[in-house]
Amino acid sequence: MKNSFSKSSLQSSLNVSGPKRELWIASLGCLIGSTLLIIAIQLYQDTSSILKDREAPKNYFTLNKKVEGGALVNLGKNERTFTSDELDKIKALDGVKKIGGFIRNKFPLTLYIWPSGKVGLGAAAKTDLFFESIPDEFLDFIPKDWNWNENSEVVPIMVPKFYLDLWNFGLAPSRVEYPALSTEAATGMPIELFIGKNRETTLSGRFVAFSKRINSVLVPANFLQWANKKFGQPEANDFFFLWKNGSIEGPPLTRSSLASLRDEPEFKNWEISPLENPAERTPALQALSEKKKKAGPSRIILEIEDNPSSSLTSYIQQNGLEINREFPEQDTIKKAIQAIFLGIAVIGALLSLLSIATFATSFRLVVAQASEQAKNLLLLGFSHGQISNVIFTRFLTLFLFILAGSVLAGYGIKSLLFKLAYEYGITLQSGLSFETIAYIVLYGLIYILINRIVIKNSVNKLLD
Amino acid sequence: MLIELNQVIPEPIPKEMIERSEVWGTQLKIEPRTFNLISAHSGKGKSTLLHLLYGLRKDFSGEVIMNGENIQKQTTYNWTSLRSTQIALLFQELKLFPKLCARENIELIPQINQNVPSGLEMAKQLGMEGFLTKPVETLSFGQRQRIALIRTLRKPFKLLLLDEPFSHLDQENTNLASNLINEIARTNQATVLITSLGEAPPLSFDRILSL
Repeated sequence: MKNSFSKSSLQSSLNVSGPKRELWIASLGCLIGSTLLIIAIQLYQDTSSILKDREAPKNYFTLNKKVEGGALVNLGKNERTFTSDELDKIKALDGVKKIGGFIRNKFPLTLYIWPSGKVGLGAAAKTDLFFESIPDEFLDFIPKDWNWNENSEVVPIMVPKFYLDLWNFGLAPSRVEYPALSTEAATGMPIELFIGKNRETTLSGRFVAFSKRINSVLVPANFLQWANKKFGQPEANDFFFLWKNGSIEGPPLTRSSLASLRDEPEFKNWEISPLENPAERTPALQALSEKKKKAGPSRIILEIEDNPSSSLTSYIQQNGLEINREFPEQDTIKKAIQAIFLGIAVIGALLSLLSIATFATSFRLVVAQASEQAKNLLLLGFSHGQISNVIFTRFLTLFLFILAGSVLAGYGIKSLLFKLAYEYGITLQSGLSFETIAYIVLYGLIYILINRIVIKNSVNKLLD
Repeated sequence: MLIELNQVIPEPIPKEMIERSEVWGTQLKIEPRTFNLISAHSGKGKSTLLHLLYGLRKDFSGEVIMNGENIQKQTTYNWTSLRSTQIALLFQELKLFPKLCARENIELIPQINQNVPSGLEMAKQLGMEGFLTKPVETLSFGQRQRIALIRTLRKPFKLLLLDEPFSHLDQENTNLASNLINEIARTNQATVLITSLGEAPPLSFDRILSL
């Protein structure tokens, strides 16, 4: 025994053209819904990727104590540093993974940057600057040329990426002698480092990398330790007023100057007081015997689990600290964009659900319209499966045609947006991503599965 | 195929009809490879009996045993298999597809019986070869009846059920159709049940039962 019938005869025997108006509505709903879904999924990925590229790293913050008051008030005052107790408290706060302190240069520093690529050629950008260093584990990455030792010819420098943007979009367009610089060109610029008030020492430097994480001018920690030791000046909290016979004598002295007066016959009667509190007098001999207080860092870097925990934010507020990353605005923009695409995706999903429902209803009608012929076929010995396959094939052809149309429409809209974005200087990935295609396949499978079940159940009810 | 009916009474048959019937409410055994005529006037349950044996009706009391198996215990899947390979039924109302041509109707069966002449040969025997490409809706009822008979005979079967197969045929066409049925049923060693309103068709029957 063998099969006798042709599939076309089987299709012809069942009037599966169905209710035209309902099928048109379902098809249109499916086309629009699927296209919206594809666009929403694709654009969500594109914008997330752009925001991720541009946003500051989420898990790193720097903290410092607020500087208040005018320049005259703060002149000569001790630096507002973190004590070891405060550091321990911050370290113990919820969500804080690790902390590290910034080391700062203790000598005057001036930089000459030569954008032409050669010292002495063209104009140099000249600036008084500072250096800081942090433990290497807090860097975004450790650049290839980050090593320094006393025999090194060049001091590696890392600056924030946005400094380069400021140069290219701020400084360079306003000064004809400064060219715009690519990252490669910027790392090739020779830099002269002048150390000391009268530029007693000159070193060579070079930008070796641009950081997205650290908002500072960084050099290797061992260079800064060496330079501070060699060129460092006394710190503000190491100056004293000298008291002789109840009145201040001369300008403030450093600890080393005070030590040089130790052999004076009256030294044991002299007193000293700190600059910020002249009334707090102590015997000079006692001050020399006390070890110099070790100052903590004035700025620290934190690595945290995710966004700052409530205990960390409240600690920051209560202790008058400043945090460097303006995460709420960035997060708000991201959330707003995500909400827009989520909205589009929800509308697309609702339309698709409606079209699934309309399709399912339409194909119930198809089965109902073909029920007489379908019953006759069942009576001839055809199986329910053979009959539902005929109707399912009709659905599948129509659905795949619509889905292909949606993919084409989605691709077209994405290409249009790609061109528009390019005009605004934003580079999107062209075409639809693998993830979007995977979502479409999953969506298509769900759509097909639901309608397969509906058609099968409708046919199974015949001749029960 | 051996068929046993044990006290079978379908739902709508009145009590007085059952008492006079040789089929309903009796112990009846229909032997394999026999020709059986079920004769009765309209409304006595001829079609009911054939539909019951084809698994289309379950509204009866008693037992119907086919080849040792109670048909009430058959699943939908089993009935589909039986209808496509074991039992062929010619419906009184024919159940053709009017939009399809006669040839497409003849070919529209799930499986084909290798022990029968081709559809074209059977159409020739019944004088229908000239109508094979015509849509069924354009044919007369007698012509449709012959197309439906060819389709039924092309299916594989061990039990052939024919519900008033000659009701719209003249004597000549009845003879031609009877010859074809006789030839094919005997070749396939099938049990045959034919219903008739009264007059017996020109076939040699092993048993004639009155409803």
